[in-house]
Amino acid sequence: MPSEDEQPIQLLQGTLDLIVLRMLATMGPRHAYQIATRLQQVSDSLLNLNQGTLYPALVRLEQYGWIKGTWGLTENNREAKFYSITKSGMKALNEETLRWKRMSSLVERLLEEETQS
Amino acid sequence: MIPLRRSIAKLLGVFRNARVEGELTREIASHLALLEDDFRQQGMSEKEARLAARRTYGGVEHAKQLHRNERSILWLEQTRQNLRFSIRQLRKSPGFTTVAVLTLALGIGAVTSVFSVVNGVLLKPFAFRDPGRLVVVRETADEFRGNTPAIPDNYRHFLRLKETAKSIEDAALFRQGAGSLSVLGDHPRMVGTVETSPNLFRVLGVYPVLGRDFVDVDSAQGAGNVVLSYEGWQTLFQGNPQAVGQTFRLGLTTRTVIGVLPQGMRFPQIVLSPNIAFQETSESRVPMVFGPFVPNERDLKNDEGNYNYKVIARLKPGASLEQASAELDALQHAYSVSAHLPIHLGIAVSPLAKDVASGISGALWLLFAAVGGVLLIGCVNLANLQMARTTAAMRETAVRAALGANGTQLVMARLTESLVLAAVGGLVGVALAFAGVRLLLALVPANAPRLEEVQVNWLVLLFAAGLSTFSAILFGILPALRSLRVPPQAVLQANSTRAANTREGRHTRSLLVAAEVACTVVLLIVTSLVLRSFSRLLRQDRGFDSSLVTAAQIDLITPRYDADKVPNVRAVKLAFVDRALAALERLPGVQSVAVTSVMPLTGENWVDNLVRPDHPARPIDTPPINVRWVDANYLATMQIPQIAGRNISAADRNDPYVAMISERAAREGFPGEDPVGRKIEGLVPDDKHPITVIGVVADTRINGLKDSAAMVYMPYWAFTPWRLTFLVRSSQAGEALIPEMRRALWDVDSQVAIPTLRPMDDQLSDSVADDRFQVEVLTSFAASALLLALMGVYGVLAYSVSMRQQEFGIRIALGSSKGTLMQLVLRQAAYPVLLGTGVGLALSFLALRLVRSMLYQTPIMDPIAIGGSVVAIFVVAMVAGVLPAQHAASVDPVQALRIQ
Repeated sequence: MPSEDEQPIQLLQGTLDLIVLRMLATMGPRHAYQIATRLQQVSDSLLNLNQGTLYPALVRLEQYGWIKGTWGLTENNREAKFYSITKSGMKALNEETLRWKRMSSLVERLLEEETQS
Repeated sequence: MIPLRRSIAKLLGVFRNARVEGELTREIASHLALLEDDFRQQGMSEKEARLAARRTYGGVEHAKQLHRNERSILWLEQTRQNLRFSIRQLRKSPGFTTVAVLTLALGIGAVTSVFSVVNGVLLKPFAFRDPGRLVVVRETADEFRGNTPAIPDNYRHFLRLKETAKSIEDAALFRQGAGSLSVLGDHPRMVGTVETSPNLFRVLGVYPVLGRDFVDVDSAQGAGNVVLSYEGWQTLFQGNPQAVGQTFRLGLTTRTVIGVLPQGMRFPQIVLSPNIAFQETSESRVPMVFGPFVPNERDLKNDEGNYNYKVIARLKPGASLEQASAELDALQHAYSVSAHLPIHLGIAVSPLAKDVASGISGALWLLFAAVGGVLLIGCVNLANLQMARTTAAMRETAVRAALGANGTQLVMARLTESLVLAAVGGLVGVALAFAGVRLLLALVPANAPRLEEVQVNWLVLLFAAGLSTFSAILFGILPALRSLRVPPQAVLQANSTRAANTREGRHTRSLLVAAEVACTVVLLIVTSLVLRSFSRLLRQDRGFDSSLVTAAQIDLITPRYDADKVPNVRAVKLAFVDRALAALERLPGVQSVAVTSVMPLTGENWVDNLVRPDHPARPIDTPPINVRWVDANYLATMQIPQIAGRNISAADRNDPYVAMISERAAREGFPGEDPVGRKIEGLVPDDKHPITVIGVVADTRINGLKDSAAMVYMPYWAFTPWRLTFLVRSSQAGEALIPEMRRALWDVDSQVAIPTLRPMDDQLSDSVADDRFQVEVLTSFAASALLLALMGVYGVLAYSVSMRQQEFGIRIALGSSKGTLMQLVLRQAAYPVLLGTGVGLALSFLALRLVRSMLYQTPIMDPIAIGGSVVAIFVVAMVAGVLPAQHAASVDPVQALRIQ
């Protein structure tokens, strides 16, 4: 079972969505295995995702209409579902990135003030 | 927008679940294959690589479930799982499913059918403007309050109240009747008519779709201008748009169409006065022709009598019924004092909708309660069966609970099954209701108001849906709640049948059966009382025999018999009657022919007072009598015995001032005296000639089977009314005579309308239609309740026996005889049946007070009805118990002990 605590999952959820979107925007269409591998590479010990977290994120983004999955073939001629970012996904990525930045700087500032006082 | 989009996607997912699920499986498979490829490249063997991929990926099913939770609406998904599970479970036990669906379908179908009628007749507002403000206004008299709560209105009183009352916006006065109508000289037909003050349609808020409404001038000009109902326009003029301006003959005069009312405008059928039976023909209930009311001299001058009219008023906006009632009553009371009227008058106001339904609402609500009771019993049965199923499913519930399902999920898992059953039952029930409504309309007495408005509409469907859900919760909730109290550990350890048959479960089931038996006993007792009352009504001595008699009613209100224009109209009418009697006598198979002024079995009519010149008294102190104008053959044709004196004879024709009186009239008018040879007076219209009593005849229930009235029979030679009924006694029963009679009468005069022509048996049967309706409906309910009780007792016993197979096996092995085992099972049935019967008897004593008014000369403590009902329930319980008892006795001990 993934973390039973609700708080970190929610924080993670928004973040994971953002990371997946960013990745698809810069690297082009990717299938779930590639995304998982890439996430592991980038974050290494920071993010220990299992597939149980990635798949719900993908279906969520798909339901929002931000990414779109199409079946294709890998270099090794294996079939896989490739996800690509959509137009509204790009828009959402920009908005979410902005929001995330504002949010994180706000949290940072608040934390700093708290430590000072 | 974005969350909305996702919700839509989730919702769509519900319908595309299979595809999405397949895609997910495919995606995970591809993921695993890619992982496998990587591991192989790292030098692993095929097998090692597959295992490593699996290990790295983690739980496939778990990942799938998380995916499902994320992509779908959680409660909907759970509901769907519950639904699929329930349907699978129900399929596994087709016997239970069939019984449950049928019970629910019949119950819901019956309640829904009756609700359609209740809705159409009692609840649906009239299609008038702001119908809640319409009221019926009647007069009251302190002197008559005991037997007549309200009387019709006097024209002068109406005018005064309409002018002075402040709580009333407007009021219309009218009277209803029927007339013989002929378009272009065709054979006339009888149509319902309304003569009304010109403002009636304005009071109701109805506007003609063709032509114009009445204006005040119309009534000043006489009765010539008429408005047709939509149906009248269709029937008389085939919906011709040029009908306005056309003419036809109605009664004595020619009328001109000035307007046509909209389709669906149903004229409210209010009675002239509660408790006054008056002759209302079938056609007068659906008026086709509306004419202006032209007050005559009597209307304009008479302040003390002439209570002949119906009044509908519209309350001012904001004025309450109580205000209007108080104001009108006070005004009328003050007037009757200041004008020195001989009686103390008041006013009674009742809401139009309530007034229209007053005659039938009691019976309908009773019917509604009865079907509701049957559905309730059905639900109790199902609750019982469900309880047994829940008990059987305890292991499954325990597993669910052990796996962490919360209370709501546990209850819903069980309740879904009941909901599925109710949904299917409800659907079938609605289908049945469409047929049921038709059946009910055929059963309901034809004179019930607003029947044409009864239909299965959206409100009825909504009701059925609500009813189904309600039933599901009713029979499903108790069993479902029980699953909350399942201790998982104990159940999982125990052997299932022992856990199932806990003392508590048995107790609840027995109580439910007792409740069912109690309901059935109440219904049985009420039904048998009503049945006995009805059979008494039909079997008692009526004092006449009409079994081979056919009656033809005719209407002479045509220009040929116009008293104002035809010289010596009396002789013309007499000639018609003589010729008609002779023509009817010549028909084949006819034994005797008679004439009477009033169609038998149509209530009290032509009520006058028996006034004796030798005993002057105020009219109010003289006994009321029904006057009938008959001929010498009347007694023989109706087979009414002569008690004293003589019959009317041909010799009386020249001196027709003779009368025969009934025993009751003799008793009330001549107490302790011999009436034969005495004089009475004032019965012949416009003729003060004294009348000699020549004979006494037996009392008959000729006006209605429930009571015999005081009667006075006089020869039609003294007076010939314009409405007459010919009675033909023939050697054989049958309808063959009917067309012959019509032809014979029209041979005598082709312009005479024949409103009614039917066997007296039909007339008799119609006169007790209300009572028959009650009897038929109650009997069918009692029968179904009994059947349900049988199923209930059987269900509980059968289940219990199947659960105790092992025990019975042991008992047999230890030497119990078959008889002992059967007794054991039957005794188990006896407790709830006895308890239920006791409670049912107690409840009936309460319920019977309510039905007392429906009974005819039948005491509510009728020992046969009560005893018979108790015996019936016992017999049914025995029958229900025998099969399971035999089953118990025939348990094979070896088999039973080997089961576990």
